Amino acid sequence: MAILSAEHSDQLYWLGRYSERVYTTIKLFAQQFDDMLDLKTEEYETFCEKQDIPNIYASKEDFVRRYCFDEADPNSIFSNLIRAYDNAVVLREEIGSETLCYIQLAVYDMNKAKNSEAPILHLQKVMDNIVAFWGMVDDSIDSECVRSLIKFGKRLERIDLYVRMRIDRREIKREMKRLNLRIGRTGLKYNTTKLAHLNYLVEVTPMDYELILQEIESLLDQEEKLAAGF
Amino acid sequence: MNTEELCKYSDSVNELLARYGVKFGIYKNNTFKEQLFPFDMIPRVIHQKEFDYLERGLKQRVTALNAFIKDIYGDKKIIKDGVVPEEFVYSGSGYLAQCEGVMPPKGIYSHIAGIDLVQGKDGSWYVLEDNLRIPSGASYPMIARDLCRKGLPSAFEKYHIEDNRNYAKMLRRTMDNVNTGGHTVILSPGRYNAAYFEHSYLAEQTGAHLVTGNELVVENDWLYFIDYSGKKERVGAVYRRISDEYLDPMNFNEESVIGIPHIYDIYRKGNVALLNAPGNGVADDKGIYYFVPRMVTYYLGEEPILQNAPTYLPYYEADMQYVLEHFDSLVLKDVAEAGGYGVVFGSKMTKEEKEQFIALLKKEPRRFIAQEVIDFRDIDIYEDGKIVPRKADLRAFVLMADEPLVWKSGLTRFSRNPDSFIVNSSQGGGFKDTWVMAE
Repeated sequence: MAILSAEHSDQLYWLGRYSERVYTTIKLFAQQFDDMLDLKTEEYETFCEKQDIPNIYASKEDFVRRYCFDEADPNSIFSNLIRAYDNAVVLREEIGSETLCYIQLAVYDMNKAKNSEAPILHLQKVMDNIVAFWGMVDDSIDSECVRSLIKFGKRLERIDLYVRMRIDRREIKREMKRLNLRIGRTGLKYNTTKLAHLNYLVEVTPMDYELILQEIESLLDQEEKLAAGF
Repeated sequence: MNTEELCKYSDSVNELLARYGVKFGIYKNNTFKEQLFPFDMIPRVIHQKEFDYLERGLKQRVTALNAFIKDIYGDKKIIKDGVVPEEFVYSGSGYLAQCEGVMPPKGIYSHIAGIDLVQGKDGSWYVLEDNLRIPSGASYPMIARDLCRKGLPSAFEKYHIEDNRNYAKMLRRTMDNVNTGGHTVILSPGRYNAAYFEHSYLAEQTGAHLVTGNELVVENDWLYFIDYSGKKERVGAVYRRISDEYLDPMNFNEESVIGIPHIYDIYRKGNVALLNAPGNGVADDKGIYYFVPRMVTYYLGEEPILQNAPTYLPYYEADMQYVLEHFDSLVLKDVAEAGGYGVVFGSKMTKEEKEQFIALLKKEPRRFIAQEVIDFRDIDIYEDGKIVPRKADLRAFVLMADEPLVWKSGLTRFSRNPDSFIVNSSQGGGFKDTWVMAE
């Protein structure tokens, strides 16, 4: 019989969040990087502002390098990948070696990208590993609760990032729909009023982005968060 | 099969081991680092007849060691009969007074034993060390075998090699045998432990739950796992991978933050099984090692099948004299150290170092043992495209389930330094699979 501790449920949730953060921030960064080449779009300062991360970068080149690969920068893609790994490595018996290995491979490929002559090109392999990881979550994890905790974290993080980056409403609504289907399968206690409010907020015009971000973080009952160590 | 064929996919197999996170942790300059454990594709091959001999000897030795632990924490007959001096029992750090009079479920103390052996140039096997506390290493050849079968299918088709991937089943059987009712868990100090890969891999392979101390609680004399909804699930067996002193702050080291308060109290009452039993260190102390062949004769009435490396106890006057006279040809070991640390070779010391060491030896004779340097049989390893000879040992695993079980494989560790006898992973060694031929 499968049993899951509060610590592991917390780690599953954060594994979902950090793996998604790596995937989506690479995608968002790649678009930003491309636009910056032609100076078609705003500079990286706005990117940082939207993501609510401090602009500690000295130049465009510094941003490209450190935002992607600086392990010491807590907002870099690499440091988020390390956090995904830190959560995954303690979940081997929950998710299985065949699933865990894709997070491990993503770390190796991130290091290879960092040291390559075309680092941004090689980030594709990191994304491929994250996609493979999600595939394995669906394919090889028997416990619905374990799967759902990872995917709930993933959905929540994706909505958070999409809202921050002002992604098209249709995308946000699609993710919201997926979140609605997933949250009840996690076994976590959540605030149904907040969830209903969140569903309402993604429908109204104009969209109140700040309020959506607040509601995302208060979706789980405070007591549940404490019990699970969130 | 020639070595060239065996080594053809060495890089690929090592890449796959890296993919699965086959690593060990190490602290260097107060920083935790994970390192890959280099795998050499050339297996150590042990033929069936030879392994039959080892198997009989290993079962005999571990059965005697188990009887010794039971006796020491019970009637102490072996001391009363003068076979083992009491100074060696009670002054060792492995002896725990808290274990006096405590009988574990089914009387089994040593559930998982790792016995380190070396083979001399004449083919004779010698036991170098008994590890009865938390021996690690079985997971590495297990996962390597799985990969090697993919890379070398013809070898496995052609030769009848015992499948070592049954270790998880053997371990599960061992845990289930003593389970007092409830879940089986593997208790780890956490991911910054050197052997964390093994803890997590064995949990996955056995279907046990990997836990840390803060996920377990003792209530009303039973041990419980608290799930994320707050529900308590009873635990009947704990394969603990944390050392005795950190197991229970109420009974051992009160500063431990990784243990479970009162777990030892309910173990004492027979309400949970702990694998291995606390207090086993009394039997695998390097000083006690000297007496193991005598234990075999004493408890089992049999001649020891396996031999120790020739060992001297400076505690005894005659042995001290021998050690002083033959200092340069001996290896000296601090009984309190492990992992290849505290091992010095007389021949490699400077005059000053030797004088200092001898002064220490005379001051604390109980602290050291001396052994003849066994001229290990070198085994081949593949390094930088060449085959080179290196020193190696074999850690054999003996599991005490409803009967003693010897794993038909083992962890072969080798030194990567051509001038070194130290094979420990923490000191840069690598590992090999051990093929036991079925016929």
